Amino acid sequence: MKRKTKERIGYIALNLAFILLCLVTLIPIYYAVNVSFSGPGSSLSGDFSFLPEDPSLENYRAILFDEPFLLWLKNSLLLSVGTVAIAMLCAVTAAYACSRWRFKGRRPLLMALLVLNAFPQVLSLFAYYRILRLAGLLNSHIGLMLIYAGSMCVFAVWNMKGYFDSIPVEIEEASKIDGANDAQMIWRIVLPLAKPAIVVTCVMVLITVWNEYLFATTFLLNSDYYSLSAGLYQLQSNDYTRSWPLFTAASILASIPLLLIFFKIQKYMVSGLTAGGVKG
Amino acid sequence: MSLRRKLKPWCWCVPAVLLILIIIVFPIIYTGYISLTNMNLYHWQDYEVIGLGNYARALFKFDSGFLSALGTTLLWTVLNMVIQLALGFLIALGLNAPKLKLSRLYKTLLMVPWAMPAYISILLWRVGMFNTELGLLNKWITALGFEKVDFLATNGIAFVSCLVLNLWMALPFMISTIDGALQSVDRSLYESATLDGAGFWTRTWKITIPSIRPVIAPAAVMTTFITFKQFDIIYLLTQQRGYMTGATLNTVITYVHQNAFVSNNYGLSSAVSMLLFVIIIIFSLATNRSLRED
Repeated sequence: MKRKTKERIGYIALNLAFILLCLVTLIPIYYAVNVSFSGPGSSLSGDFSFLPEDPSLENYRAILFDEPFLLWLKNSLLLSVGTVAIAMLCAVTAAYACSRWRFKGRRPLLMALLVLNAFPQVLSLFAYYRILRLAGLLNSHIGLMLIYAGSMCVFAVWNMKGYFDSIPVEIEEASKIDGANDAQMIWRIVLPLAKPAIVVTCVMVLITVWNEYLFATTFLLNSDYYSLSAGLYQLQSNDYTRSWPLFTAASILASIPLLLIFFKIQKYMVSGLTAGGVKG
Repeated sequence: MSLRRKLKPWCWCVPAVLLILIIIVFPIIYTGYISLTNMNLYHWQDYEVIGLGNYARALFKFDSGFLSALGTTLLWTVLNMVIQLALGFLIALGLNAPKLKLSRLYKTLLMVPWAMPAYISILLWRVGMFNTELGLLNKWITALGFEKVDFLATNGIAFVSCLVLNLWMALPFMISTIDGALQSVDRSLYESATLDGAGFWTRTWKITIPSIRPVIAPAAVMTTFITFKQFDIIYLLTQQRGYMTGATLNTVITYVHQNAFVSNNYGLSSAVSMLLFVIIIIFSLATNRSLRED
């Protein structure tokens, strides 16, 4: 009996600890949600209240219609789709070849990709700046897309190779015996089997591009070309005391799709990230 | 025929290899070339090759700031990893307590920071938590009757602020990895150990930690790399253009960025980039080997 009471007290303490932990985790986000719904009348420097005072949707209206939010959204979509298309078209065949065939130079190639994947692209930011300037691609979506696609291609090859490795080769051999050529086999057998892997890789590339602000703000000089992340960055760097409520509304809008996607593919994120050993 | 067979895999790799050579490898080589020149704001076009001077300046002149940035980065990485592994392990253990009914709910709520876009989290923390006027922390501090604290004003406190934010952002991944590893531990081991009279801590030390180690190791190595390369937190919190907060905190990556885009020492910045590239190659080859042998 005494042991049971002790255990019960232990669990109450554990639950309290977790409730506290969740509160600490969520408060920064909750506060932002709170500010985003506050009306123009609420004092910014007032005390923290758990419900927005004078609740209104004014901030959301203002960010959507007074600021170029929708234009930034369009640019972001354009950049992400372009990047995914370039990176995946290049990466799928390479990942398949590296997974299925043992050829001369395969291991060095994979090692090189692994090392390049560990290399932070920020370090060549200045080189990119000069190259884009010389090539006349500053302030253009094409230049940015190519830069994103390059690094995402490295990631996608490793990520998809891991998935291809897990598809049994026997199915393909059977289709070979039935007389299918390479292209037919890829199109009819491999791609349908690898669809989840390809979708997840696409989504991860998409998320990365969606969240990239540094290259976007460095290479896009005209704010009409800004992606969503660059736009949000600019919004808070101009005059954050005035634009703070607007910024919170924009943050919530930009985060919601990602939160939804994240919880949908979370279980693939872990396995995908650790597939190649050292990633990041 | 056999030549065709030999070439076929490479043909399939050509688009990817070309893209990567042009977009990733060429800029690295170009960075290497810039690192050998005296390129700066005054020598934008008429720069000349000066040899290894930039490397010597980074490595042997203490006032170049590189060595202290390297020190900060190492301290940052070690502190982060130790705290993350310890806290992540404790929290995951708690989540796996057999009769914790709400553990799924807690787990989902704790994952939210991982799902948030990193730059948005950082910018929300910058104003929403750390700011002296609008930040929650200062509202609470003043409500308790203390004086306002500028969390980003000096190096020491800015370092702690960045550390706290990084923990907030990175712990979910650690918790979820360790939680997954804990669930794969064979239950019968615990039962027989309990029968042998082992207490909770003995079981944790003798069974749990050895069995989850192989699963945690790759994730820990990956997180170490990510922490070492962390740029966004320090950049967005303390050194945005026009909003330097007073802290002169630099990790190696922010050091490279600052020298390229603020003080316009392109040669020095590129030299440090190349040094870091070498360090990263060595570490990633070394950890890869040790991981495979596990």
